[in-house]
Amino acid sequence: MNSSYCNYYESSSLFHGSLLNIMGTRFDIVAVGGTKTVSESLWNEIISELVRLDKMLNRYDKESDIALINARAIYAPVKVTPEMWNILSDCKQYYDITCGLFDITLKDFSQVYLNESDKSVFFLQDNISFDVGGYAKGYAMEKIKALLSFDIEHAFVNFGNSSVLGLGHHPCGDYWSVCIENPYRAGDILGTVQISNNSLSTSGNMPSHPKHIIHPISGEYIEKRQIVCVVTPNSVDAEILSTTLILANDKERADILSRFQVNDIRIYNNIGEENTKHE
Amino acid sequence: MIFVFIIILEKKIQNMNKNNDNVNLELRKFIKNLGYIAGGTALLASVPWLQSFTPEKLKEIKNKKARIALIGTGSRGQYHIHNLLQIPHAEIVALCDNYPPNLKVASELCPKAKTYTDYKKLLELKEIDGVIISTPLNWHAPIVLDSLAAGKHTFCEKAMALTMDECKAIYEAYQKTDKVLYFGMQRLFDEKYIKALQMTHSGLIGDIVGMRCHWFRNNDWRRPVPAPHLERSINWRLYKASSAGLMTELATHQLEVANWALKRIPESVVGMGDIVFWKDGREVYDSVSLTYHYKNGVKTTYESLIANKFNGMGEQILGNKGTMDLAKGEYFFEYAKPAAGILQLINQIEQKIFDNIPAAGPSWVPEIALEHKPNYVVEGKININEGLSMIGVDKDGSEELIASFCQAAITGERAKNIVEECYCSTILCLMGNQAMDEQRKIVFPEEYKIPYINF
Repeated sequence: MNSSYCNYYESSSLFHGSLLNIMGTRFDIVAVGGTKTVSESLWNEIISELVRLDKMLNRYDKESDIALINARAIYAPVKVTPEMWNILSDCKQYYDITCGLFDITLKDFSQVYLNESDKSVFFLQDNISFDVGGYAKGYAMEKIKALLSFDIEHAFVNFGNSSVLGLGHHPCGDYWSVCIENPYRAGDILGTVQISNNSLSTSGNMPSHPKHIIHPISGEYIEKRQIVCVVTPNSVDAEILSTTLILANDKERADILSRFQVNDIRIYNNIGEENTKHE
Repeated sequence: MIFVFIIILEKKIQNMNKNNDNVNLELRKFIKNLGYIAGGTALLASVPWLQSFTPEKLKEIKNKKARIALIGTGSRGQYHIHNLLQIPHAEIVALCDNYPPNLKVASELCPKAKTYTDYKKLLELKEIDGVIISTPLNWHAPIVLDSLAAGKHTFCEKAMALTMDECKAIYEAYQKTDKVLYFGMQRLFDEKYIKALQMTHSGLIGDIVGMRCHWFRNNDWRRPVPAPHLERSINWRLYKASSAGLMTELATHQLEVANWALKRIPESVVGMGDIVFWKDGREVYDSVSLTYHYKNGVKTTYESLIANKFNGMGEQILGNKGTMDLAKGEYFFEYAKPAAGILQLINQIEQKIFDNIPAAGPSWVPEIALEHKPNYVVEGKININEGLSMIGVDKDGSEELIASFCQAAITGERAKNIVEECYCSTILCLMGNQAMDEQRKIVFPEEYKIPYINF
């Protein structure tokens, strides 16, 4: 069950909304400058949108659009909604410009047949399925950005810490200053990133999840203790980059980066070890 | 307040020099807290009684000392003496008590002070700036009125007085004089209460929908009596001629906090009072349960019992989004706790501070259960008053209260709201007693309403 909470702080026109158990994590928004009524009504729209996207994109929910595709596209082409078509086409494009490292099949996107004419999807091998986890939060962030665009100029949006969106700036500063925490050492800050009208995405292993990133081409888990942070104007770009740069070798990294507009990028190596220098 | 905290800061530095570990870090943290507590206009607007204690005012009293006299040198008077001896701008010049053993103890603590057994003689002394009254309740009104009439700045322990008429007389005398008048409402000077109420008023726990206060002890509330004829003067708390019992001795503090929290005064009260356990000839209740009703429907429930101490002392503000436990300096959310980084950001924005937001990392690990974990109003170790001491505890605001009174006794600057807050809470206590005595609902009496009151 999703459980939501919100509060409005009159003295600083500050709205805080929090939604738990959404897309496998929690969602928080701190929006400044809107009235109580406007903020609350936007919050209701945000909740509806996040719940809608979760229902559409969560592969573990048997009734989600993605789960239905996964269940049926191995047998026959499955016609999809226009929105799903756009998402899948988008994922295909990211696959193409990331040397095949961003891959929602986690295996081989080339075994997916996307038929433009009837907007259908067909899996050419029966071990193929979609997992859009690396895309969905960025997509949701872009939707939220659009919802906020008319009424809210300044907001800090946090999707489970790994995806952060900063609109406008902190009321007392020129930007939002975000600390990147070291998952291996509590209280250790790897660095701070300034965001303003852009998104920060962070990827890496954690002590609790030492093997959760899989290389789609080799099929091996990435076990290095590395954190990659990327700031880009577009939330989906940030997600795609933070995920793929962990997988990329030096040549691929240069190749991929040449195709994106990037505001900031931080790579922290060997973070679980003592006496590590952070740059 | 700033000034008061500077004294404490100096003490902290001395202590830290002794221990000498992490001086800078501790100091920085403390100054940060101080910065928050001093927090510019927002803070001063919410705690107007602290407005006279800015650094500029501190300069005015540099090298000056308030000449203080104490009337009543029993346990509470001695507690004040110990605090006064630590305050650089205070000098104890005279002591008065009609009970020789107490006067002797006090005199040994401050040998230079003149001693008196008749307070009226003491008030004739010209070289007194301020008088501190810690007597049985029935003596508050006569001595406060005489002290103000003698032109002395005056501090009196709570409650204000034994009867509503006496309270009104004190309130009216205060309107006519230009002297400083303080009452011992130390929660107004307690950092954790100030911060907790600021947080509450900023909307942290949503709308206030109720308030629960209680004070439980398990003892007979008696002091040893060397000779039977001294029973009524030593155990003055137990007899109606000198005391209004649990209400004036304990509930005053908590009802004051309830008014502070709700920013309004209850319009009526019902309650029951009994002598349940200590049937030893005392006249005041040892068990009270009351409900104060506010115009907006919110209620403050008040309970006090002195034959069971399990629940200790507490004041809880109940909001539709959370609960603030003032005495413990903790708050709880009705829903899952906001993420730490987000809570920090909210606090920054509320306090108009620009800082980093610790909110980025590979992923958030979901919390499994919705538990009622406390969040702390003041970081680090705090002193919690369990309510068991009959005299007072450390760091409950009493020291700051006395220090600021001494400063006011030098500058002559009156602190806002303290008299009014004490007046209101005392009238409410006395209304509570009346409701219990007469077993009926008591509405705030017209003749005791003052302009300060917002129902």
